[in-house]
Amino acid sequence: MTAPEVLRVEDLESGYGEMQVLWGVNLRVPERSIVVVLGPNGAGKTTTLRSIMGIVRPWKGKIVFKGQDVTMLKPHEKVARGLSLVPEGRHLFPELTVEENLLLGAYTRLGKENPSDTLELVYNLFPRLKERRQQKAGTMSGGEQQMLAIGRALMSKPSLLMLDEPSQGLAPKIVRDIMETLERLRDEWRLTILLVEQNIAQSLKIADYAYILEQGRIVLEGPAEEVAKREDLVRAYLGI
Amino acid sequence: MPDLNLLVASIISGLLIGAVYGIATVGLNLIFGVLRIVNVGHGAFIMLGAYLAFIVYTSLGLPPLLGVVAGLAVGAVLGLIIYYLVIRYLHDAPELATLLATFAIGILIQELVKAVMGPDSRGFVWNPLAAYEFEIFGYKPSSFQILAALSSLALLAFLYVVIYRTRLGLAIRAVVQDREGAMVVGIDVERIYAASFALGIMVTVASGAILAAYLQTGIHPYMGEIYTLKGFVIAVMGGLGSIPGAFIAGVLFGLFENVSYLLLAGIEGVQPLVLTRSIAFLLLLLILLVKPTGLMGR
Repeated sequence: MTAPEVLRVEDLESGYGEMQVLWGVNLRVPERSIVVVLGPNGAGKTTTLRSIMGIVRPWKGKIVFKGQDVTMLKPHEKVARGLSLVPEGRHLFPELTVEENLLLGAYTRLGKENPSDTLELVYNLFPRLKERRQQKAGTMSGGEQQMLAIGRALMSKPSLLMLDEPSQGLAPKIVRDIMETLERLRDEWRLTILLVEQNIAQSLKIADYAYILEQGRIVLEGPAEEVAKREDLVRAYLGI
Repeated sequence: MPDLNLLVASIISGLLIGAVYGIATVGLNLIFGVLRIVNVGHGAFIMLGAYLAFIVYTSLGLPPLLGVVAGLAVGAVLGLIIYYLVIRYLHDAPELATLLATFAIGILIQELVKAVMGPDSRGFVWNPLAAYEFEIFGYKPSSFQILAALSSLALLAFLYVVIYRTRLGLAIRAVVQDREGAMVVGIDVERIYAASFALGIMVTVASGAILAAYLQTGIHPYMGEIYTLKGFVIAVMGGLGSIPGAFIAGVLFGLFENVSYLLLAGIEGVQPLVLTRSIAFLLLLLILLVKPTGLMGR
């Protein structure tokens, strides 16, 4: 891989309170690629993304984003620099309308620039959201809410989009739609994507590179098609 | 059955003071809604506002309702100081810690005011539009009281604009609905907490200046305590955290207090002033029986 990297995580250790979850995670996310992190429940996938985003404070290690050390920055500072996260469970604003949710996605730019161009791009990507722009976010279906969560994350014009199990709880057809959307974002929007998933087959199909995380450590990594060939090994690691 | 004129009069005066009760509770609910902190020192901030109106009128010779503007300014500074000095260290502390901390701040403010202004009860009468006074059903509201109710509505409108028409307000609503969601869109949650706390204190101090319309002789360092109690009742009645709920419940509370006083006064051997208070709690119980989360609670 010769593409310059957007994100590099070095020996990241983190956890909650007294409980250590990550024991030295190393990741590289090259520009305009999809990197997937697979792992069983409790392996530390969500903690990895939350630490990169600054929602959980990293204990040790380094997070380098676009060549700058951003390890200890706060979430809002990271968003302003171009990191964006679609969190597990989506964390939408249920009482606000679809459009208000999207505009909040551009919060760091509000007042300085007009976010309507980005809003149009997101509406083109998800025409459903445009139809439902005045509807309250909490009243939509799971699939629509996931689209909204992705749309909201795109509104900050990120250089790196991170997604935490976007396929969780969704019907297979909708999961395929979302994976196709991620491919479009890489190929047409030229975005760099770090995806955390439990859905091995679907995510390896679209990913360029894959990591397997187990008990807070990377236990296997490689180009996605090669990892896919060793599916027996992957399944053994994931315990399924 | 009491005189119909008296009944209508007490409904009108109940609505007038109810608007003041409402605005005096809105700040308490705003702070609880955003920070999940119960400000036990609430009444001390109201007392501060009443003194501001007193000083603006007696020392500066200006209309006492300018104390509302002074209250907003003093509240903003005080709110930010208290937030950054105390509250921000208590986010993940047990509830008892925030209760004790806000209780202590209330006492501190009371004692500081007593040190500066003395322990005596103060007050003033102001009736700028006496010439235009009118009578409805034999009742003559003072122009200060009418202006007080109007100021309450103006303050409510100000708060509405801040919360529903500004970028700050959008961020406040986002933090209330989903704190982690607010973090990932790039909202500095810490700053929103500070701003919301300051905003709540601003409105509360300003509401004290409005309340001065009802305190012709009753401004003293400990006057706030009864309003802390009333504030809690009204806040729970309206639904904890709900701003419109607090205002509506305040109006209802004022109405109920006044009308029940009148009705109780008609019964022989009853001390209406004492019973009125318990009647207000009865109203609270009834509302909670029907809707346990309060009028506008979720």
